[in-house]
Amino acid sequence: MRVAVALLAILLAPIPAVAELLDFSGAEWARIVRHGPWPLPFRADPSNRVSGDADAIALGRTLFFDTRLARDGRLSCATCHDPALGWSEQRARSEGRTTLTRNTPSLLDVRLRRWFGWDGAHDNLWATSLRPILDPREFASDPTAIADLLRGDGKLSACYDRAFGRDIAGVDAETLAIDAAKALAAFQETIDSARTPFDDFRDALDRGDRIAAARLPLAAQRGVRLFVGKGNCAFCHLGPAFTNGEFHSIGIPFFTAEGADGGRHAGIKTLQSSKLTLLGPWNDDPDLAPGTATRHVDPQHRNFGEFRVPGLRDVARTAPYMHDGSLASLRDVVKHYSDLDPDRLHNDGEAILVPLKLSESEIDDLVAFLESLSPTVRTSDASSGPRCN
Amino acid sequence: MRSLASSLVLLLAATGAAEACEPPRLDASTRIDGKRHVLLFRGVPSPPPLNTSFAVEIAVCARDGASVAAPRVDAWMPAHRHGMNYRPSVVARAPGSFRADGLLLHMPGRWEFVFEVGGERLTATQTLD
Ligand code: HEC
Ligand code: HEC
Ligand SMILES: [Cu+2]
Repeated sequence: MRVAVALLAILLAPIPAVAELLDFSGAEWARIVRHGPWPLPFRADPSNRVSGDADAIALGRTLFFDTRLARDGRLSCATCHDPALGWSEQRARSEGRTTLTRNTPSLLDVRLRRWFGWDGAHDNLWATSLRPILDPREFASDPTAIADLLRGDGKLSACYDRAFGRDIAGVDAETLAIDAAKALAAFQETIDSARTPFDDFRDALDRGDRIAAARLPLAAQRGVRLFVGKGNCAFCHLGPAFTNGEFHSIGIPFFTAEGADGGRHAGIKTLQSSKLTLLGPWNDDPDLAPGTATRHVDPQHRNFGEFRVPGLRDVARTAPYMHDGSLASLRDVVKHYSDLDPDRLHNDGEAILVPLKLSESEIDDLVAFLESLSPTVRTSDASSGPRCN
Repeated sequence: MRSLASSLVLLLAATGAAEACEPPRLDASTRIDGKRHVLLFRGVPSPPPLNTSFAVEIAVCARDGASVAAPRVDAWMPAHRHGMNYRPSVVARAPGSFRADGLLLHMPGRWEFVFEVGGERLTATQTLD
């Protein structure tokens, strides 16, 4: 009913003299509204018993910026996940102790993911957070070193005791490593992206407020129309976070100097051989309810060379783009979709992507829309909250 | 003439072979009338949510009265020519009653549900938005 009234209001209201609003059809209107509301309410992660806990968040925030987590003390999580760059970095491919094969993804809204990493090798945020700590190419640490750090620093120990409600002295190293990862996860769950001009536009359409909707510049409005229409973008970049969370090939080459990056194919293998999944003993949810997707994931031939659909909020701040950081700007990304080579797609005949053959002004419009997914005013971000001291 | 009559009789007999059968009751479900089976199904929740795991309840009977084994359950998007990234698990709950868990439809649009039961393929489409 509200929908119908709002729709009528949009269709019938006289067009105001100054502000311009495109003549969006009912179908376009419905598709646009699907990309909200924003922000989404916080929901604690049932697999992590300290999710949402203030002390755990403070501990996680402290650890995230602490170079002592790395064996040689040169890296912290923030080295690659830089808050000023949407928690990503400018390099195409990350530099740990050696050059990694992939681009650092943004951590904005990371709590909303179903799969983690470009290949979805993890099904939860704490296992994903432990990976770089143990990976010999990154922190190259181990549970004993993590336990020594936590036990040896009075402030961290006190923080741990409060967050986990027990004395750190009685906890073994493996459990401490996983608890540290759970604290890191609790902190990263607070990394939310802020409201944007697009959200104001979307909410105005939802209310049937044409005047407010018309504040979104026309170029961005035309870009939205392409995004939910002829561009087919919204099939994959779906919903409020602009991703369906699944895996596709859009024809980015996956052969590197180091060999092929198997993408989702390799990700499923890693997932299924890990004991740090929602189906394993470290999931704190007795019902194991969130493990449904993990239990049923179905490896397929086309997974080779598929990568996770990235969310697009604040995407203007997280260049370069794609799993290998191979595209430098949003303009390059849109041109990629415009000139796409269907033979490059590794998708077993999936028929969604076609070369869009966009005009220069259509390219401008799509870029203007993508830029409207960034907030215009930046308030303090998650890095500025309390730490353990 | 005689052969025409007998083939007519045969034809009628063949049509009549589509006997009725009644699957276990399943309220607010979609019904598929196959040649050899009748199948009812509904999403849990219903209608199925977009891009979220859900289950499907199924009730099925064979027209010849035989008992039916667990159906294979799948779904795909004909327009996009891709299926799900998940393989549902099916358990029997009572004779003719089954539940499939772990379906996930990751795009809006028209999906075709496919049930394979006793060698017969039964389909029904649903549009998600
Ligand atoms: C050397 C650079 C580097 C460092 C240091 C680093 N990361 Fe990452 N991070 C990456 C890369 C590259 C990926 C993508 C990995 C993949 O797809 O396999 C990633 C992925 C992630 C993801 C998954 C994000 C998503 O959208 O799925 C999380 C969460 C994450 N890192 C957290 C951390 C935490 C916590 C730390 C510190 C303990 C850390 N990272 C340290 C480079 C880094
Ligand atoms: C078939 C699914 C699909 C469709 C349709 C699609 N995308 Fe993507 N998009 C992806 C995937 C998968 C990636 C990551 C690919 C990779 O890294 O190899 C991606 C990456 C991107 C990125 C880079 C984000 C980042 O952080 O690196 C942008 C921007 C983007 N897409 C915008 C669009 C636009 C605009 C359209 C419509 C013209 C579109 N996409 C259509 C699946 C899709
Ligand atoms: Cu599809």
